[in-house]
Amino acid sequence: MMRPRLDAIRECLEGAVPGIMATCSADGMPNVAYLSQTEYVDGHHVALSWQFFNTTRRNILENPNARLIVTHPRTAERYRLQLRYLRTETAGPLFERMKARLAGIASHTGMSGVFRLLGSDIYRVVDVERVPGPALAPPPPRASLLAALRSTAARIACCRELDTLLTETLASLETHFDIRHTMVLLLDGSATRLYTIASRGYEHSGVGSEIPLGQGVIGVAAREATPIRIGYMTLEYAYGRAIRAATEESGLADALETEIPLPGLAESRSQLAVPIRACGRLLGVLYVESPQELRFGYDDEDALVALAGQLGAAMLSLQQASELNEEAIAPEPQARPVDGSPLVVRHYAEDDSIFLDDDYLIKGVAGSIFWALVRDHAEAGRSTFSNRELRLDPRIRLPDVSDNLEARLILLRRRLNERDACVRLEKAGRGRLLLTTRRPLTLVEVGAGGPRPTPACG
Amino acid sequence: MSDPSSSVSGALIDAELAAFLATAGVSISVGSRNAGHLPNLTRAVGCRIADDRSRVSVFVVAEQSRELLDDIRANRHVAVVFSEPHSHRTVQLKGGDALIESLAAGDRQIIARYRDAFTAELGALGYSGLFVQTLIDSSAGELVALSFTPNAAFSQTPGPKAGAPLGGA
Repeated sequence: MMRPRLDAIRECLEGAVPGIMATCSADGMPNVAYLSQTEYVDGHHVALSWQFFNTTRRNILENPNARLIVTHPRTAERYRLQLRYLRTETAGPLFERMKARLAGIASHTGMSGVFRLLGSDIYRVVDVERVPGPALAPPPPRASLLAALRSTAARIACCRELDTLLTETLASLETHFDIRHTMVLLLDGSATRLYTIASRGYEHSGVGSEIPLGQGVIGVAAREATPIRIGYMTLEYAYGRAIRAATEESGLADALETEIPLPGLAESRSQLAVPIRACGRLLGVLYVESPQELRFGYDDEDALVALAGQLGAAMLSLQQASELNEEAIAPEPQARPVDGSPLVVRHYAEDDSIFLDDDYLIKGVAGSIFWALVRDHAEAGRSTFSNRELRLDPRIRLPDVSDNLEARLILLRRRLNERDACVRLEKAGRGRLLLTTRRPLTLVEVGAGGPRPTPACG
Repeated sequence: MSDPSSSVSGALIDAELAAFLATAGVSISVGSRNAGHLPNLTRAVGCRIADDRSRVSVFVVAEQSRELLDDIRANRHVAVVFSEPHSHRTVQLKGGDALIESLAAGDRQIIARYRDAFTAELGALGYSGLFVQTLIDSSAGELVALSFTPNAAFSQTPGPKAGAPLGGA
């Protein structure tokens, strides 16, 4: 009988049925243990969670030979793997991936606070053998992931602007993958946090909300540049909770956007965060979730990693193309009449936050962009602006040349639209913006420590 | 029984533990090792405890356990773990005198009762009956009993007390 390939049976390592492991001490005493977690590493390696200083641990350090039985979650087929212990990792992408998954498993099995990952033990798979016995027929496959990926890739390839690219990507995840709760977060120029640029499937878009690097599923995926996938609900990695914890314990709290609630399912049972990378650097995270347990498997992860690769490359090339194609000069359109009571625009210099009357709008780089635009509008009567001049504007302090101005403008435009603000930003040709306002503007600059409006309801 | 080891085993396995091993819906796994200390393992499909609790027998499908049975014939060392999924209660027994025997009268009834108990246990956790019965199906192959005198018993319930010896051993 042909030996099964490890990658062909990796679903068995998902742990729906716990793995069983046999080890042997140096003096020849066999030992058997149930495993709460097994992880596919690559076609020739698996990783097992080291959680306790127990007999298994002692044995593999004395005698690296082990045997493992894993069970297919749907067919009940069993496979016996012969393993050889290689090393233990206590930090890094694999460790973080397993730590996050273990938190989900612990919470699912009532073992939160008991299960704690001390290390990822990496084993070479010497042999894989099918244990003789009956098998159930596998259920019919869901829609082909490759076909879904192909359709999505075709739609992405047609996008000429970042805004459309993001919208099309999330729409494709729903149409072709049947994944209904999705978001894209981009890395802030300071590289300490991510901000939500687009979302789909939530009551509130949460555009502009922030997550610190290293917090929750999304933050860990970004920090470690590795996909993080959890199949059960877990408080430990619930990002709302992670944000609160971070806010309480660190100085980063001041810098974090907490006035815009994060989108997200209250009872998320499956989460998958995939880093978006291009040209060797991290651009952001593609995040999907589901109220259903074990919704995302290895194959879904593979598909989204491939998708995130194309998304990253497209984002970068659109950014570069928009910088090349920007038109510098544009004729001012006829000013539109405005009436009604003035809208008070407050700018707080300490964090560039903007309030329209008493409503919080945005802060940070997007806030400084908005402030520059409305000042030029009020003081010089300007309504059209080019991306190029914004990029060079010393008032806007883009934190990094790599910071995506286009993304900040999308963020700003979406926030204005969502707030149904009297001021709007519209696209006016390639690399140009048109500021429109329905009411006259009164600008108020507030110095450090100035009083802030109490947050409005909702 | 005149074997002096029987009183030791009786102390290791009290009546409550015997009931847990032989009648609860526990997952049962058996480990061995060969002359080169390469371990092997298989899943068992039921357990019988002697009336005086001195000997433990677990039933395995021979076709699924060839190397393990070879190991036991060669050196008689065995480790068996019983784990109850819903409570995580886990007990490991070790033995150094294991023998491979034919099924005794009544063993098939024990195996049928085990199948029902394990199916009910996993059913409560969301596994389908068909899935569980496929996992522990023993209808096709030859079944044998692995019998041994436990010389050590350990609690392996996850947590700080994992690995502690049982029964005042």
